[in-house]
Amino acid sequence: MTLALNLDRKAEAAAVVHGHGLPHRRIEEWKYTDLKSALGEKGLGAVTAGWLVGNLPSGVEMFDLAQPDPPAWVMNHFARPTQNVMRAASLALSAGGVAFRVPKGTQIADVLKLDFSGPGHVRGLLVLEAGAALTLVEGVGIADFRNVGFEIVLGEGASLEHVRISPEDGEAVLVEEASVHLAARARYRAHFAGFGSKLSRMELEIALEGEGAQAHLSGVAVLDAHAHSDVTTHVIHRVGNTNSTQLFKHVASGSARAVYQGKVTVAKGADGSDSNQSAKALLLGDAAEADLKPELEIFADDVKCAHGAAVGDLDAESLFYLRARGIPESQARGLLLQAFLEDAVAEIGHADLRELVRTELLTALRAIA
Amino acid sequence: MLEIKNLHVAVDGKEILKGLSLTIGAGEVHAIMGPNGSGKSTLSYVLAGRAGYDITQGSILYNGEDLAALAPEQRAAKGVFLAMQYPVEIPGVTTMTFLKTALNSQRRARGESDIDAVGVLKLVRAKAKTLNVSEEMLKRALNVGFSGGEKKRLEILQMAIFEPQLAILDETDSGLDIDALRLVAEGVNALRDPSRAMLVITHYQRLLDYIVPDRIHVLAKGRIVAEGGKELALELEAKGYEHIVKEPA
Repeated sequence: MTLALNLDRKAEAAAVVHGHGLPHRRIEEWKYTDLKSALGEKGLGAVTAGWLVGNLPSGVEMFDLAQPDPPAWVMNHFARPTQNVMRAASLALSAGGVAFRVPKGTQIADVLKLDFSGPGHVRGLLVLEAGAALTLVEGVGIADFRNVGFEIVLGEGASLEHVRISPEDGEAVLVEEASVHLAARARYRAHFAGFGSKLSRMELEIALEGEGAQAHLSGVAVLDAHAHSDVTTHVIHRVGNTNSTQLFKHVASGSARAVYQGKVTVAKGADGSDSNQSAKALLLGDAAEADLKPELEIFADDVKCAHGAAVGDLDAESLFYLRARGIPESQARGLLLQAFLEDAVAEIGHADLRELVRTELLTALRAIA
Repeated sequence: MLEIKNLHVAVDGKEILKGLSLTIGAGEVHAIMGPNGSGKSTLSYVLAGRAGYDITQGSILYNGEDLAALAPEQRAAKGVFLAMQYPVEIPGVTTMTFLKTALNSQRRARGESDIDAVGVLKLVRAKAKTLNVSEEMLKRALNVGFSGGEKKRLEILQMAIFEPQLAILDETDSGLDIDALRLVAEGVNALRDPSRAMLVITHYQRLLDYIVPDRIHVLAKGRIVAEGGKELALELEAKGYEHIVKEPA
């Protein structure tokens, strides 16, 4: 039934999960997010979550990972070994998922829409061969607990835009680990819009492995009540002349908490790398919290790396200016919040998706402004 | 139109205005002059309704209504406009979007219908031309990257668009060279109207060469210490504030 390779890697992954146990706050990478207590006695479980593909755009090949006899491209790329507990868990504790391939040189105009649904663990794989291009919209369905392990492989000159929209869900614990490998001149553009759940963690590991590879990460979060949102990124510049940018903007009200941990590693010899990291949070109210931790690890020469983080409140002077021009207070606050988030939203390349995120943000902001 | 009586205002518990009285009728242009720290900006902010400016005594009546009881946006809808000394920069909101939102907010508060995007664009373009405000400025984020002169011109453009009944101009001349000053003053003069009152707040007499007031009040240490016609400005210019402030009002 299941392929031998899969079994070997599943056994390895199970060993990682057993060895490390559930992530808790004494582990540096999980310092701000307590998954163990959010899951409580139920723990990780061993259920396989579902997935749903709207219309498969023509030119995109799909394979159901629960099926036997996977094609070579799945065999080649699926389930790279990992020490990441949750990614290992998504393999060890699930029996399925979905894989996509865009063949060499194929540019897909239609958007591929993928929804993960239901509780449990699930795997995703997306392979863009050399010169291929795709826009992926990832939807996040409601569930008590779900853990998605997503692998993305971009061949030379391939280009992917990945937009993930996570709707408001007060009770959900949603964890995802995406790992992206980029060959020379490949481009990965990702945007993560989050509207708050009991615990949401988006973990991204980006490996820039070929010269000229670029990764542009951005995200917005509008959080209310007890929402907890964690964006943890690790961008590794393995070779020189690679470029990465990160721009994350969070708004937290009530007793919500926004976490951003971003690490950029420039490996030895990756000279001429260029990286820029920015994370900002606006806190509305005294009980809201933000933990922003950008980090740099540089082993190369002649690199250009900048990082910054800032936490603040709405600017009183701007608010007064708008009100003095006749704009009612809640509308003025909404306008300023929208303006705060705008440069991160503007990072979305696909115009319709950018508008979609803007509209969702407006609705969410109206509720808290 | 505006009647201020024995106004005392404190900021952070410190009294800044100490019994200011002032009456302005429709169609009149009054100037308030005074040295730094006399309370000029405090007066403009308290009229516009900025938080943190506490009225501890006295009253402000605007068309017979207690101005202090109104939120800043209500004052704007009722025709109070403050051209600010330091207009704020708001990245992420384009100037045009801001103008449209503000205009329609004021109209809605007065029970008038919205003007659609095309209508607002037409209105703004027509007024922008005379104030030398370019299309490109209107597309940029509000005041972001604007020069001092551009910011002041945009303030006057807003005044032209909103057509307030009471316009307060706080140090509109600061940071302007002579050409920019002339342009701004012409814009203001074009808005002089028998139904509109203006209060021009300035440190220097220079602006009053271009916007000639009906009445000048000298503010010092939180009180009006001298009043007169437009010739008072010339006297201040020649003799300085020291001279007048020392004399009994």
